[in-house]
Amino acid sequence: MRICVVRSIAALAAVLVFSTVTIAQAAEQTAEAKADTKSKTFDAHDFSGVWNPAPRMQPKGEVHPLDLGGHPDPLPPFTPTGQAKYLANKKFIDAGDVLDCDPFGTAKNFFTPRPFENIQAHDRLLQHFEYYDNWREIWTDGRDFPGDLEPDFMGFSIGKWEGDTFVVESHLYNGKQFLTWQGFPLSESMHQTERWQRVDHDTLKIVFTFDDPKMYSKSWTITYFYKLMDWKLDAHPCTISELKRYDDNISHRDNLPGRDYKPQN
Amino acid sequence: MKNKLIKSFGLAVGLLMICAPVFAHHGGSEYDTKNLVTRKGTVTEFIWANPHCQVFFDTKDDAGKVVNLAIETLAPAVLKRAGWSPETLHPGDQIAITFAPSTRGTPVGMLRKVVLPNGKELTGGTIGELPAQ
Repeated sequence: MRICVVRSIAALAAVLVFSTVTIAQAAEQTAEAKADTKSKTFDAHDFSGVWNPAPRMQPKGEVHPLDLGGHPDPLPPFTPTGQAKYLANKKFIDAGDVLDCDPFGTAKNFFTPRPFENIQAHDRLLQHFEYYDNWREIWTDGRDFPGDLEPDFMGFSIGKWEGDTFVVESHLYNGKQFLTWQGFPLSESMHQTERWQRVDHDTLKIVFTFDDPKMYSKSWTITYFYKLMDWKLDAHPCTISELKRYDDNISHRDNLPGRDYKPQN
Repeated sequence: MKNKLIKSFGLAVGLLMICAPVFAHHGGSEYDTKNLVTRKGTVTEFIWANPHCQVFFDTKDDAGKVVNLAIETLAPAVLKRAGWSPETLHPGDQIAITFAPSTRGTPVGMLRKVVLPNGKELTGGTIGELPAQ
């Protein structure tokens, strides 16, 4: 019995020592990579390339835009309308009916844990988001928001430089998508501001400010980071037939309605 | 003694997993990421498709009864970056899969690792800089 206990403790210690060594090695490699990143030169006005989200770099205490066990904390400053909409959205998501082909809008695309590519042209910055193959234009030719444009999922975006910060203003959203994966809502009154900064060769920092008086009692922010990758984007279009097969094979086997979910009024 | 060793190892793994942030799957399914399960079995179907690939395989449950498990992965784009291809699995392949089981007790799970017939191991890839949950 005593030998068993000793051996068990030894096994536990071995696992922990191994883990500690692995973590130490990883930390060392990370430190080397950081030093390498700092020494690389870069153009602060060049955001081209493929960027992958680094959610662990988000400052502590901010609203997290990915679901943390279904109980995000803290929550954004909802209005009563925003709170009710969030709870309704959450039921929808819990039922497995998040997998639809509606374009993600801009914020949800940024917070999707998948890469996007920036392509800079003389009059605009084009963004291609791998997940669901969404595209976004940020106009940089000095134009203003159009007066005759119908709101849609992706809104309309214009960008300008303030020193080395690229400031993007977006609105004309139709309010039919979620702002984040947890179902935080947005309405047609959403005005989104992004402040982009390339903090080193491999790191892009974007501070998002959300101003939507219908859904939120005051503006609030999320700071998110992205890492430059030597990747090519892959195809991930949204197709109804594939969603249906996924529902049949996974959602329904897991006793979830999936896309068959019908909200109860 | 064997049980004690297994329990010790399980405790250690559990302690390490507590340190990892928990990201829920983006569909409605909830997976028990703290109690991963490993099963050996025979592939019956491998679907390489969006939004998530799916591996079906026959295995035996604790009572020795053959069950067909449906194990989802992340998207093909994510699996490619982890070394997978549409030809990675074929019906009849003898494999071992480590997965997070559904919290509903259904024969569904989320893949964490597969050991192929040739002994090669592949993970389920990462989302952002995080492993599949």
